[in-house]
Amino acid sequence: MSTLLKLKKINLKYQTGKDNISVLKDINLTTKKKETISIVGESGSGKTSLIMLIGGLERPTSGKIYFLDKEITKLSEDEVSKIRKKNIGIIFQSFYLIPNYTALENVTLILELNKFKNPEKEAKSLLDRFGLKHRLNNLPSQLSGGEQQRVAIARAIAMKPELILADEPTGNLDTENSDMISKILFRYVKEESSSLIMVTHDPKLANRASRKIKIKDGKIK
Amino acid sequence: MEKLNKFYQYKFILIYALRDLKRNYKKISSIIITLFISLFILSAIFTIEDSLKKELKENAKELLGGDLEIDYNRNQGNIDLLNKVEEFTIMSEMVEFSTMLSTTNRKKNKSLFTRIKTVDQKYPLYGEVTYEPAGAYERMQNEPYTILINESLSKTLNIKTNEIVKIQDQEFLVIGKVRSVPDVSGFVTFGDWVLTGKQTLDILKLNGIGNFLNYEYKVKFNNNDDPEIIIKKIESIFKDDQKVKIRYPENAASGLKRVIGNFSQFLSLVSISAMLIAGIGIANTLLSFINQNNLSIAVRKALGFYSGNIKKLYYLQLVILLFIITILAYLSSLLIVPLVDKYLSSSFGLKINLFFSFFNFFKIFLIGLLVLTIFSIPTINSIDQVKASSLFRNIFQNLQFYYSKKLIFMSIFMLSILILIFTYRSENLTYSLGYFGAFFICLIIFFLLSKLIIFSLKKFRFNSSTTLKVSIKNITQSKSITPITIMSLGLGVTLLLTLALVGTNFKREIAKSIPDIAPDYFFVGIQNGERGKFEQIILSMDSDANFEIVPMVSSGILRINGINPNTYITPENDSYWVIGSERRSSWTKEVPEDNLIIDGKWWDLSKPNQLQISLDAKVAKDFNIKLGDIFTLNIYGREVDGEIVNFRKVDYRDLNINFAMLFNPDFAKNIPHEYLATTKFYNLNKFDETKMLEIFPSLSMIKIADYLNKVTNVLNKVFIAVIVISTVTIVIGLIVISSAIMVQGKVREYQNLVFKILGFSRKEIIFSSLIEFMIIFISVIMIAIFFAVIGSKFIIENIFELSWKSNLEVLIYLGLSIGFVTLVLILLTNIKYLNPKVYPLIRNQ
Repeated sequence: MSTLLKLKKINLKYQTGKDNISVLKDINLTTKKKETISIVGESGSGKTSLIMLIGGLERPTSGKIYFLDKEITKLSEDEVSKIRKKNIGIIFQSFYLIPNYTALENVTLILELNKFKNPEKEAKSLLDRFGLKHRLNNLPSQLSGGEQQRVAIARAIAMKPELILADEPTGNLDTENSDMISKILFRYVKEESSSLIMVTHDPKLANRASRKIKIKDGKIK
Repeated sequence: MEKLNKFYQYKFILIYALRDLKRNYKKISSIIITLFISLFILSAIFTIEDSLKKELKENAKELLGGDLEIDYNRNQGNIDLLNKVEEFTIMSEMVEFSTMLSTTNRKKNKSLFTRIKTVDQKYPLYGEVTYEPAGAYERMQNEPYTILINESLSKTLNIKTNEIVKIQDQEFLVIGKVRSVPDVSGFVTFGDWVLTGKQTLDILKLNGIGNFLNYEYKVKFNNNDDPEIIIKKIESIFKDDQKVKIRYPENAASGLKRVIGNFSQFLSLVSISAMLIAGIGIANTLLSFINQNNLSIAVRKALGFYSGNIKKLYYLQLVILLFIITILAYLSSLLIVPLVDKYLSSSFGLKINLFFSFFNFFKIFLIGLLVLTIFSIPTINSIDQVKASSLFRNIFQNLQFYYSKKLIFMSIFMLSILILIFTYRSENLTYSLGYFGAFFICLIIFFLLSKLIIFSLKKFRFNSSTTLKVSIKNITQSKSITPITIMSLGLGVTLLLTLALVGTNFKREIAKSIPDIAPDYFFVGIQNGERGKFEQIILSMDSDANFEIVPMVSSGILRINGINPNTYITPENDSYWVIGSERRSSWTKEVPEDNLIIDGKWWDLSKPNQLQISLDAKVAKDFNIKLGDIFTLNIYGREVDGEIVNFRKVDYRDLNINFAMLFNPDFAKNIPHEYLATTKFYNLNKFDETKMLEIFPSLSMIKIADYLNKVTNVLNKVFIAVIVISTVTIVIGLIVISSAIMVQGKVREYQNLVFKILGFSRKEIIFSSLIEFMIIFISVIMIAIFFAVIGSKFIIENIFELSWKSNLEVLIYLGLSIGFVTLVLILLTNIKYLNPKVYPLIRNQ
């Protein structure tokens, strides 16, 4: 398997008032294509920060990140956006759907952004696959937590990205919905030969990944 | 929450309200600023208007010059009747006239058509004359050939004390300067004037028409007499004297009162518009503030707070804020009274004093409270939309303005009170009501425009670009704020454009040079036998001079259709001047070129022995005169009946000879008359004023340029007031626009954050905001220009009575400028929302 992602000596620090907080310390990590990884650790250990850096939503204080052999840490914000738009799908614990867009519009948007042919038709079929055919024209506020997360996953995988980043995807859901989401995610990764990096507190979900990384105090153990 | 007893409940809410206000005042700074600016302007207008009216009311006797005034106009009073009045009162005779005053002993002497006020030893009956140096006033009354000049005249002709000047062909010594006289109500105190003793009347040659003579007899009652009885007694003495007009203190300075009333009506209507626009801004800011507190409201509800108590908490914060701001705004407005006093006392001889009026303070607070309540009702009631259950599902919808039928009724009721406050006792009720009507029609049209835009954009499918689709989605989405943005932006831009057009029209009127065809001089008082000599002298000075000479006769209106003309019109009417003073009329064989006949026929030559009258059409309309009505005129003491045979459109602003009444020449040619002439010189330098006065000492020469300068000075002062209030409205408008953006702020920040996660570039996010702005602004500006053109035309032509002209260049320039400034403002306010930092937002959720 070829390399998908490479993190070299990554450090992330924050200035809060006079204090300088070190969130991530000298992180080195390499992942292969089609690999599924779970990141576990205590709250505040730096799991979400790591996901943000990989997704190009934040810049490290020092160190380099390579995605498909391209160093993304030296790219401009817009160039990183371009990579993310085509190759990285992100799923959040709080879903982050656009509140005034319907379920269908939330998914169609990313397809339109990538100039996809028949974006609405594709979005409909995707939502249909996730059991949301009857919810196409509902706003996020009219959907249950599980339904919202399914819309968010549909949006994240709509472009068939190389990598899916998921931050506690089942954190806000009950057991039944958690199982459903986890099934959907892993089935997609398998079917589309994608990679998955997932932050989770759920041991059952973490154990489904091919590799498990533990973070403590900003360092990989 | 356990039901608390009322006292405890209110104490509890008050404590929380004060605590919240202390912590949040920075977040609602735009509410504080807009409220302060609009209340300050309102307070300033009310305070100055009230101070002026109080001054006019309290000093009515001083302004009139007595308890009563017997006005004989151009005629010397009937001595017998006046003597009868003097038997039981104190009487002072005052005669005013205009004539030429010239400098002497200079290389190039200058002359000026000057108003001269002659007073007797008893003057003034009320108030005092201020002058310098000490003793000059007494000397002026006792010594012939002495005068006091006012500051303006001293500056215009550069005359100093102890200098010799000529009035007509007589030399007078300037013995000092007069600072003010008390009786300014019937006297033009701005401009150039002279105060002198009664004996001057015997020195000069005066005639009624050319010198605009005015005989006034001021009367002071004895302290022990009952004023009502004395007034009735005086009225009965003059009941058969048609030449007399009796004036009372309540009529003093009616013209000035009207000017103050009109101008303060205009300013207060503009200020209430600014206040209503500020209200929209306040509603936006408040909604944004409540949206920010969405979570804390939900938590409070989860803890058991009633929704009603939470709303009371917000209302109470607003009332406390309003009370503090009203005090600050009102007190600050009092500080500008001394500044206005300085200007008024130097320009009009009026003094105003600083005084605290609890009624005014209450009125301003009430207006503030009404505006604040009207606009905060839909905002604060949005609190009902916050559900404690949101905490469980972590879903916080952006709140929307909320109206129920009951709330709409309440808002309309409060709005009606607000309109009543502004229209009740306003100078012109129709204008005020019309203004409010126009304001709300604008509001409705902008609302309909927003619906039309949303409908049209939804109807058409755009497949071209994602950014365009996002922009359109933002405009058309359900619960979109497009209507409120279009309404606030639309009203703001309309008001700005209207005021800008009013301002530019003012500026144009001020800068307008004398028309090429306008004459250089008006010559008044050319005696019947001097016409030929006058023409000869003018031509000897400049053989290419063009002049027009028309006969002129004094012709006061005694009766209309046999009854008192005062029953046809009120002193507040624009056309009251026709009967308010002695009327001059002329006659001509042909219809004057610039006086089109609107109704009726020119002279009926078959009736040469009957007086036929051609009347100014506006005067006819204001007096409700019909063709065939009969005017009884006083022509040289003889009563003559004349029939109205036609109406002419007269434009007095063309600076040519214009008369309200023209007579048929067949009848009028035998009436003793003088001549009025206008002259346009080919070379103005060839005209020698001094030589002219040596030949015609009693001739009055009015230089058009001087006259226009005086008008320009007045217009300049009005223009400053318009500019100041426009600037304030612009500031409020910009704050409102920012507040409209703020409402969207949190939603936009969240939306842009998701866009960014999905891979939108910064350029695409900014571009979609720009497209959205362009769609809204282009439609708003079109309608706003339309309203501004209509509004400014109405204000300029009807309120200021000036001529209005459209100016496409100004409209385009202003439209683009407002668009550019608004865009910059939107980008500046939106910049943090356009490119949000993802990580901190996600961590803080």
